[in-house]
Amino acid sequence: MAANAATNPSQLLPLELVDKCIGSLVHIVMKSDKEIIGMLLGFDAFVNMVLEDITEFEIMPEGRRITKLDQILLNGNNVTMV
Amino acid sequence: MSLRKQTPSDFLKQIIGRPVVVKLNSGVDYRGVLACLDGYMNIALEQTEEYVNGQLKNKYGDAFIRGNNGNFLVLLLTRR
Repeated sequence: MAANAATNPSQLLPLELVDKCIGSLVHIVMKSDKEIIGMLLGFDAFVNMVLEDITEFEIMPEGRRITKLDQILLNGNNVTMV
Repeated sequence: MSLRKQTPSDFLKQIIGRPVVVKLNSGVDYRGVLACLDGYMNIALEQTEEYVNGQLKNKYGDAFIRGNNGNFLVLLLTRR
């Protein structure tokens, strides 16, 4: 797979895709019944993410949580999908 | 305000000393002043209060939260 990437430079790596989303609104789905929408400021190799202007959703009891301005660091351990 | 590209490590350096909320996967919130943290997201807080749905325990002094053991969803929210 690594050789494939070397011979095919037009391939888009997952972290490149996340990098393209910096400055945009992203929707994060967690392993638990929680989703987070916010603007992506940055991330690292573990996909820990720094987000801003957060809205947090709980899924089962359909309640929109506190809209947290300011910044959060989201631990990438529990992220399912971006 | 700070819309520049910011990695988690940069973020961590600049929030030390600020009041934060650490949210765990279990739904428990810990609010306090961030004393220090490390690359494993171990966190030391001062003047910590523990919130479950209402306010439960009050911890003054230091609180240590072990990071990155896979069971924690750690959000550090800086509140004004």
